[in-house]
Amino acid sequence: MGIPIVELKRVSLKYRLARQKTPTFKEYMIHWIKGVLVYEDLWALRDVSLELYKGDMIGIVGRNGAGKSTLLKVIAKILNPTSGECIVRGRVSPLLELGIGFDMELSGYENIYLAGLFLGHTKKEIATKIDEIVEFAELEYFINSPVRNYSSGMVARLGFAIATAWRPEILIVDEILSVGDLAFGKKCIERIKEFRSQGTTILLVSHAGNIVEELCNKAVWLEKGIVYAAGDTEEVIEKYYNFIKSITNEECRREAIFARQAL
Amino acid sequence: MEFVSPLRSVKFGLRISGYRIEVLRDLLFELVKKDLKVRYRRSVIGFLWTMLQPLLMMGVMYIVFSEVFRFNISNYPVYALVGILFWNFFSQSVISAMNSLRFNSGIIQKMPVPPWIFPVSSVISGTINLGLSFIPLAIILLLTGHKPTIYLFFLPISIIIITIFTLGVGLILSPLAVFFYDVTELVGVLLILLMYITPTFYPMSIVPPKFFWIVYLNPLRSMLEVFRDPIYLGKIPPTSHLSASIALGILSMLIGVYIFKTQSRKIAFHL
Repeated sequence: MGIPIVELKRVSLKYRLARQKTPTFKEYMIHWIKGVLVYEDLWALRDVSLELYKGDMIGIVGRNGAGKSTLLKVIAKILNPTSGECIVRGRVSPLLELGIGFDMELSGYENIYLAGLFLGHTKKEIATKIDEIVEFAELEYFINSPVRNYSSGMVARLGFAIATAWRPEILIVDEILSVGDLAFGKKCIERIKEFRSQGTTILLVSHAGNIVEELCNKAVWLEKGIVYAAGDTEEVIEKYYNFIKSITNEECRREAIFARQAL
Repeated sequence: MEFVSPLRSVKFGLRISGYRIEVLRDLLFELVKKDLKVRYRRSVIGFLWTMLQPLLMMGVMYIVFSEVFRFNISNYPVYALVGILFWNFFSQSVISAMNSLRFNSGIIQKMPVPPWIFPVSSVISGTINLGLSFIPLAIILLLTGHKPTIYLFFLPISIIIITIFTLGVGLILSPLAVFFYDVTELVGVLLILLMYITPTFYPMSIVPPKFFWIVYLNPLRSMLEVFRDPIYLGKIPPTSHLSASIALGILSMLIGVYIFKTQSRKIAFHL
């Protein structure tokens, strides 16, 4: 197996909610003077330990608020963990949203440079890839018009084309495969598969278990920031589905009881 | 065995997320270009307006202060215009740097880009705008027959000093504006107050002696004199103002860099 390309050692991450409730300087000072600066902590990740290897394709499943996106942001070095360690040995291309770094007033062409720079490439490097990007995004006729005139599908296509113009060692994909039309979605998946065969490690978040089942060889199930299961896709997905079923049954029962009481 | 560089885990000074220096240089350049492009994109009108605005302001000041209040100052239009240009640069750069992190929250939350790049690019484009505003200044200098001296060559040094100070202030304020929503409004009020206690469009001679201390305590006064003297008086600014503004520039940068170094990891959490 060799050295893991991404290594998470007991990573925990907490959001402090108090400041979001009192986000003004005035209130902060008042609370500080009174000495009642109480924080409500929300642990988005608790003791997450994972090892990801070269060429793995890992699906992350879990309900809303389970910490999936937070986990991706920690690996992409956007958020720093509160405790624990996250070691990443390679270039990460984070695709948390398509069209990041775009300025709506600028043309598609100018935005390729802007977004490419945010991804960590020099202008020279971008210039050598520009034709390829335009071709992949199928935007030859629109590349000089401002992005504000683009459809959301066109923005998504351009965003994906830029982010995947260079093969990263780690590709992070957050719920973005559903945008754009079917044909382009297929093209994206083709490119992801191609990267994988060349040794890229891919992390994929999806609510839809079937995409994970179809593409990934490993899966991680997060619930309330805790890894409930990790390992072979089929086992993890099965456990996840059973859990969802039990929860919905439980909720149905509770609702039924509530309805009866109300009557 | 393929060598995989641990590029993304490099932590060195302000290179928090390990972007290569060349990339940051290009990115800074491109962000400044974007800023100017978006500002002037709507063709000639936008560009003309930024030229015209200080001139109109100067006209108003001229009428109010030399016709209504009648104070005696030689070549008042140049005096006032230089003050207005300085003030526009300072207030616009501080405001845009302060808001830059919040405006770019989408990128900061989705990319590991070091946040300081946004206030820095705001201040650099402010400085370039200041450079462009020398066009109306040159016109007024010609029209009023104001003869520049050799000490005009000192002006670039003045601009560097005021840019460093402004950048420091921007670096201090931008994370604060992310953490507390009322900082933007607070600073807006403070800037108005500061404008009135800075002799931008009135001469020091009209300030009653009992209020001198206010003007002396105002850090922007030294900055303004450092900027105005090479143009208006045609001299090198006095050492007192020079040393004060250099010291303030260094101090504000030190505080700004310190705040950014300690707070920048929290920025993505608070946006």
